[in-house]
Amino acid sequence: MKNILSILICFFCITKIHAQELKGDLSYQYMYAKQWDKAIQTYNFSRPTITNKQPLFMHGASISLSYIFKSPKHLKHGILLSYSNFYSKATNLNSSNLLVLHFMKLGYLMHYENTEKMKGLYIEAIFGANSSALYRNLNQSAFIYDDTHSKAFSIGAEASLKIGYYIKLKNNFYISPFVCFAYAPYVYSPNTEVVINQTKSLSSKNWTSILNTQIGMAFHFKNNQ
Amino acid sequence: MNRLKFIKYSSILSIGGMLIPSAFLSACRKESILDDTSFTGKVIIIGAGAAGLYAGYILKSKGIDFQILEASDTYGGRLGKVEGFADYPLDLGAQWLHGQNNIIGDLIHQTNTKITLDDSDEKFWFNNQLVNTLPKDINALFTREENVPDISFKDFAIQEGFGSEYANIVENIAGDSGAAASRISAYWKITEEENWISGDEDFKFQETYFDFFDKHIVTSIREHISLNTIVNTIDYSKDKIEITDSNNLKYTADKVIIAVPITILKSSDITFTPALATSKTTAFSKIGMDAGMKVFLKFSTNFYDENIIGGSICAAYADEKIGKTGNSNVLLAFIMGDQAAHLTSLGSDSAITNALLQELDEMYDGQATASFISSYVQNWTTKPFIRGAYSYSTVGMGDARKIAAESIDKKIYFAGEAMNLNGHHQTVFGAAETGYREVMNLLNDLSS
Ligand SMILES: Cc1cc2nc3c(=O)[nH]c(=O)nc-3n(C[C@H](O)[C@H](O)[C@H](O)COP(=O)(O)OP(=O)(O)OC[C@H]3O[C@@H](n4cnc5c(N)ncnc54)[C@H](O)[C@@H]3O)c2cc1C
Repeated sequence: MKNILSILICFFCITKIHAQELKGDLSYQYMYAKQWDKAIQTYNFSRPTITNKQPLFMHGASISLSYIFKSPKHLKHGILLSYSNFYSKATNLNSSNLLVLHFMKLGYLMHYENTEKMKGLYIEAIFGANSSALYRNLNQSAFIYDDTHSKAFSIGAEASLKIGYYIKLKNNFYISPFVCFAYAPYVYSPNTEVVINQTKSLSSKNWTSILNTQIGMAFHFKNNQ
Repeated sequence: MNRLKFIKYSSILSIGGMLIPSAFLSACRKESILDDTSFTGKVIIIGAGAAGLYAGYILKSKGIDFQILEASDTYGGRLGKVEGFADYPLDLGAQWLHGQNNIIGDLIHQTNTKITLDDSDEKFWFNNQLVNTLPKDINALFTREENVPDISFKDFAIQEGFGSEYANIVENIAGDSGAAASRISAYWKITEEENWISGDEDFKFQETYFDFFDKHIVTSIREHISLNTIVNTIDYSKDKIEITDSNNLKYTADKVIIAVPITILKSSDITFTPALATSKTTAFSKIGMDAGMKVFLKFSTNFYDENIIGGSICAAYADEKIGKTGNSNVLLAFIMGDQAAHLTSLGSDSAITNALLQELDEMYDGQATASFISSYVQNWTTKPFIRGAYSYSTVGMGDARKIAAESIDKKIYFAGEAMNLNGHHQTVFGAAETGYREVMNLLNDLSS
């Protein structure tokens, strides 16, 4: 992960001159994935010894980098890469069960801003692919069976809409508070229930839809030439 | 609108736009489901095996009234133990935890139960010799990439070049699934193996599987179990379901979970009013369950290998002492399918024991008879309320398990290892999964 991020940062720095705008953001993320909820709810339902229930995947933190191509038009194009992290931990007698979800998104973005009409407001529509890796840890160590860490991957497509407002801090440097709504209608995740509830297709489908809302702060480096 | 106002309104709108749906979603989302049921009716569970007991355990945790009717004089079904035969307790039925990635594996962690990895070595009885490896790797049968045909595992093995000299090895593989190689479907056997998610390592309980259930599941529901109650009829034609036992005693319930072995459902032991649909009875008939037994042979010396695969009387022997704390030399003969049917036909425990000793004498130059002390035969085929080992998938079975497991009229629910749809049939945790699944289905039906 660290390597990927450093490569990307280098890439962004090198290509900064060709960009209209480079952007990094940090945000809080709220997630709703119905089928993953079902798997966790079934886990809690089926294990009465668990007094502290396993929380649903709900709150996460997200970081993302975007690169917007130079264009004289109000509507610009760009690419986005983001990483989010969610976890669900329940500590009970003799067992501390931790589920860690790493979420990656790679998307094509359309950025619209019109300084005259919209003041500092901008809107972005993002279309892309997402993928995730879910890991289970038990009692502070990886839950290993058959010599491998219990894990599940997912892949899907999603669309999101982001609205932010530029606040100029320095010549080329802006910040913007933003909100973002994302919807992934189909995320293929055949093994998620295996990791969460240790069953397959008992409580959930092998795919889920995911609804995401985000609130955060973006940091922009604008090339005003 | 000036700039400041614009910022103010747009941020209020955006934050509100995000927080309102999030707060709404959060309020609707609960970590646990079906906790606040208002159901005040009664559930009757038929069969106190792993499935029935686990269903009871869940109902108890939800505060729902229930009773478990069990035909035999003990609970546990295909979980059982014998003490005193060796200086450690023996599992009469289920013994190994097949992988840790399952609900029982979880409970084992939570209850700090001692289990040991069984990584014992195998020897093969092949062409009248004990060998460490086979000339051809039999596991190749499981690595075929093209479509596996829905033919018997025996025919498939022959088709793949494992001829008559491999017959007992093939029988051993089928025996793992409690079946005769001539009846189990190669397609299903291989597909189920591929979809197996629980883990490949086998673990043994330092005590017994039965003890584990007894201590952690049965403790809280013991008073709900009625033993020696053989259910004969189930009448679900009216609002309340009426159950009659062999003593003509009547029980009424709002919902019934049937958790008896598939052999019992295939027979006419339990009469349903109205009669079950043909699709249901056909589905039952397509699910296989062959003969199965365990014979414990006690010896004065440990002359045998940890596992002996491929005998013609018994295709799988295992050193029982592995994973146990004790000194008794006990060899387990794990006999399934046609081999179990053949031994059952011998008619007596001593005839069964002699047949096994004879085979072991052949393998180990007469050492078996020379050091034999005693035997314990647990024949599940002749147990009147079990009648076999565990369910397996037959040739042409299709979606029989799915049809068999469907509930009827939101009143009758089907649990038990044979009703497991996610590849965990034949196991204790698979049975437990169906137990909680059916309680979930029942509560979901109530809330809908
Ligand atoms: C020899 C052997 C070895 C095994 N080894 C393993 C193993 O190592 N690991 C593993 O995970 N699994 C193993 N299994 C399988 C495991 O034991 C079963 O899958 C599991 O115990 C089945 O539970 P169940 O509740 O579905 O059925 P059962 O345990 O059979 O319970 C059904 C109950 O219904 C009762 N009943 C029947 N008819 C009536 C009636 N008319 N009225 C009232 N009650 C009735 C029966 O008496 C029984 O108690 C083994 C099984 C056998 C036979």
